[in-house]
Amino acid sequence: MTIIHNRSLDDIAENTPTLRGNAFTRAFSGGSLPRLIGMLLLILILAFLTLYPLGMLLYGSLHSTPPGMAGEFNLNGYRSIMTTQNLIVLANTVGISLAKTIPSLVIAVFLAWIIARTDTPFRGTLEVLITLPFFIPPILTAMAWGMLANPQVGVINMVWRWMSGGTDPLVNIYSYGGVIWHMCQYSIPFLFLFMVDAFRAMDPSLEESSRMCGASRWTTFRKITLLLMLPVLTSSFMLSFIKGIETFESALFFGLPAGIKVITTDIYESINHRATPDYQYATSLSFAIMGLMLLLVIAQWAILRGKSFQTVTGKGFRPNVMELGPWRWVTFAFCVLFFLLTVVLPVGQLMLGSFFRFFGFYTYDMLTLEHYRSVFSNSEFWRALRNTMVLGLLGASATMVLGAIVAYISIRTRWRGRSLIDGMAWLPWMMPGMVLGVGFLWAFAMLPGPIPIYGTIWALLLAYIALGTPVAVRVMTGSYHQLSYDLEECSRVHGASWFQTMWRILVALAWPAFAVGWVLTFFGIMRELSASILLYSVGSETLAVVLMKLWANGNAEQVSVIGLMMMLMVIVFRWVQLAFINARVSKL
Amino acid sequence: MTTSKFNMSAMGSWSRRVFLAAAGSAAIIAAAGVPAANAQDAEWQKVIDAGKKEGSLVLYTALVGQPSTKQIAAAFTKEYGINVEVLEARASEIRERVRVEQSAGRFAADVMFTSEGQTMLYDTEDKSVDPLPVTPNSTKIGDRFKLKVPMASVMTIPYGIMINTGLVKPADEPKSWKDLADPKWQGKILSDDPRAIGAGYLWFFSTYTRIGEDYVKKVADQKLVFTRDQRESQRRTARGEYSIYTPVIMTDFSDLKGLPVKFIIPEEGVPYVLYGNVLLKKAPHPNAAKLYLDFMQGPTVQKIYASLGYGPVLAGMTEGLPADVKAISEAKLYGTTDTTRQNEMLAKSKEIFK
Repeated sequence: MTIIHNRSLDDIAENTPTLRGNAFTRAFSGGSLPRLIGMLLLILILAFLTLYPLGMLLYGSLHSTPPGMAGEFNLNGYRSIMTTQNLIVLANTVGISLAKTIPSLVIAVFLAWIIARTDTPFRGTLEVLITLPFFIPPILTAMAWGMLANPQVGVINMVWRWMSGGTDPLVNIYSYGGVIWHMCQYSIPFLFLFMVDAFRAMDPSLEESSRMCGASRWTTFRKITLLLMLPVLTSSFMLSFIKGIETFESALFFGLPAGIKVITTDIYESINHRATPDYQYATSLSFAIMGLMLLLVIAQWAILRGKSFQTVTGKGFRPNVMELGPWRWVTFAFCVLFFLLTVVLPVGQLMLGSFFRFFGFYTYDMLTLEHYRSVFSNSEFWRALRNTMVLGLLGASATMVLGAIVAYISIRTRWRGRSLIDGMAWLPWMMPGMVLGVGFLWAFAMLPGPIPIYGTIWALLLAYIALGTPVAVRVMTGSYHQLSYDLEECSRVHGASWFQTMWRILVALAWPAFAVGWVLTFFGIMRELSASILLYSVGSETLAVVLMKLWANGNAEQVSVIGLMMMLMVIVFRWVQLAFINARVSKL
Repeated sequence: MTTSKFNMSAMGSWSRRVFLAAAGSAAIIAAAGVPAANAQDAEWQKVIDAGKKEGSLVLYTALVGQPSTKQIAAAFTKEYGINVEVLEARASEIRERVRVEQSAGRFAADVMFTSEGQTMLYDTEDKSVDPLPVTPNSTKIGDRFKLKVPMASVMTIPYGIMINTGLVKPADEPKSWKDLADPKWQGKILSDDPRAIGAGYLWFFSTYTRIGEDYVKKVADQKLVFTRDQRESQRRTARGEYSIYTPVIMTDFSDLKGLPVKFIIPEEGVPYVLYGNVLLKKAPHPNAAKLYLDFMQGPTVQKIYASLGYGPVLAGMTEGLPADVKAISEAKLYGTTDTTRQNEMLAKSKEIFK
């Protein structure tokens, strides 16, 4: 870390007593009371969104019956999870998550570097295209990959047999490899989205200095680029690894037939496939996992503590890209290959299938537009779309504002309690969605009668904000880590007010991260089912609920139509963000 | 307040006690002939009037995504002018919602459409249901569907065997559940997971208790491939991944017309799940709820279900149906699960199907 000479927060506190902190801090320099009230309010909001539902779940793990039923406090839940079998399943789960996180991170870093730091052709278009798989409901890509890579009649294996003349399949999606591959389809674009703007925001002069000093491209990439990206990389790793532990669809769809068990399938079974749902077992297991995950978060804090990663400084920031010469076509080919494998193959299946009566039966007499007609004439779909758009717009905006504030206080101030709010914002990410959904149900339903949240659209909105906050905070944290404190101080020295400083420096410079976080949160809301199914009320159905109903009734083709529409929406959103909003904000 | 008093009066008057008293006195009243029937009609009319005044009904259903729910709700609205608001979720989710809502004093739902097994749990563990009211149609259903648990039976969901006709020659088609143990099917059967509550477990319970453990062990030796997604599994079998998918929801046959598959009713009969309505505690629209319960057991709804292949609980509903639908709707009922033995049998299934 010796290469970084920008000042850290500690330096500011120690060496610049006259400034006494940064713009945000000084805004309240008239007294600590407003700050105290602000912090308390923030802690209360986060406590309500995260600690309260988790507290209900903790009660569930320590009580023989769920909230509202007579029972007794005991540790039976925790005792029941202490089995050799669970230890094996846990090891299996951690192994699968590592096996998908590490290659995903490597590929995502490479893709982010290609798109943000090189002169690879068509990288603007590629940036939108390679992120598409993340936005498709996992059940659809699972179905598509089931058709492509099942060992018996999968398209890939049929082609392989035809070409090789053999009888053995080339790939089998119902295997460890299949589970990991399907998870990678989501983690690579997620990680890419998470990191690409951090790569873009980096001052290229640091890399150029390294090259000038004789370091090779690879050494520069390894010792400068990657090291500067440490906060973003560790955050990305944590988010992806923890999500990997909690991933459910891939393991259920591809793992179950192969006898592969993970923690979440065990939790799912304890809630959904026992005579009486065993919430004590499910919550105890979830808290045990959460405890392990917390250790990782603490490790990340320890790694990053006291180090500075500022790459956006007041010294003149020249967005620049590395000229790869003929190699740019190699990087281009890599992106195209990734796009073909992760988007064209599965989405092609979905698109093709949506025009036929049944997936996989592509004959002339099966051609139909009936699935599109059914979706467009389904009033429930339109109502759900409307609800979801409202919830998505409000939810994503509120989540990002909350995330930006938490990240700001956590990274750019030395206020007491900043670690507490940062930790609180992490918590929802560490609880499997299906369990956290139950926590929200218990929490909101058990509120005193006069608080009208349960049974209203507010319950969904609050749950979405809680669920989205961890990503929002991580995205903004990565971005704020990169901004030098000089920028704020410069702005203030030149007479800008606190709001002007916030707007022109922090908002304008952190905008790309905010926008990416917003898109991630928005589409997270569009896909969220675990909490939605337990909190929606008559008339407030969301798109995920409608998709679940259609899927449960065997209307996979209609689900695909909706999935394709969601993807189209992503393309429009990303295009607007990249081509229009970013350009305008950068002029602020 | 007037409406509320009226509702309560109507609710109380058409109680089980009154009805049974009336029924128990049938012999005496028979002497009077018509007046007894008139008295009952008058009481029921009060329920109808009160239900119409309530104007709406909140239905929770664990049968997710079925277009028939909307069709029936529309027919009910047409009949009584009462609007039906439907909330759908999977069985465990909807059960927890009801339990928590009632614990918190939020009595939002009137009626729950669920299975016989779930009803027992609602009744004995959650205590979230009211005793079943006796309604005009409730006396007309088949005796085997009059239950001890407080569920007004509506229909049965039958389960059978599905084959891929491209992979299974007509001569080889399984005709009995026992045929699944034939070694020629080894590695060729896709099965709903019998180790978890669901269709696979229903098959396991029925055949284990009726054919025996040896049979189930032989099937376990067939190297079954397990799944928990019933509809997608039908498609996978149709596409040729497996020769057989079992057990299949027989009523899905109409959705897969045009695909190379065949639905087989085993000669022993079809394992089934009995679905019906329960009246939830402190239902906000109690009279509308009773009307709905009655309506679901009446000929209009029974014919809708029979036309889809479900087993009606009212006799004579399958007349005039196409032969294939009629065969499924009238299929001999083979067996269902017993909730009181669920933990024991799940453990046994896990032991056999490791």
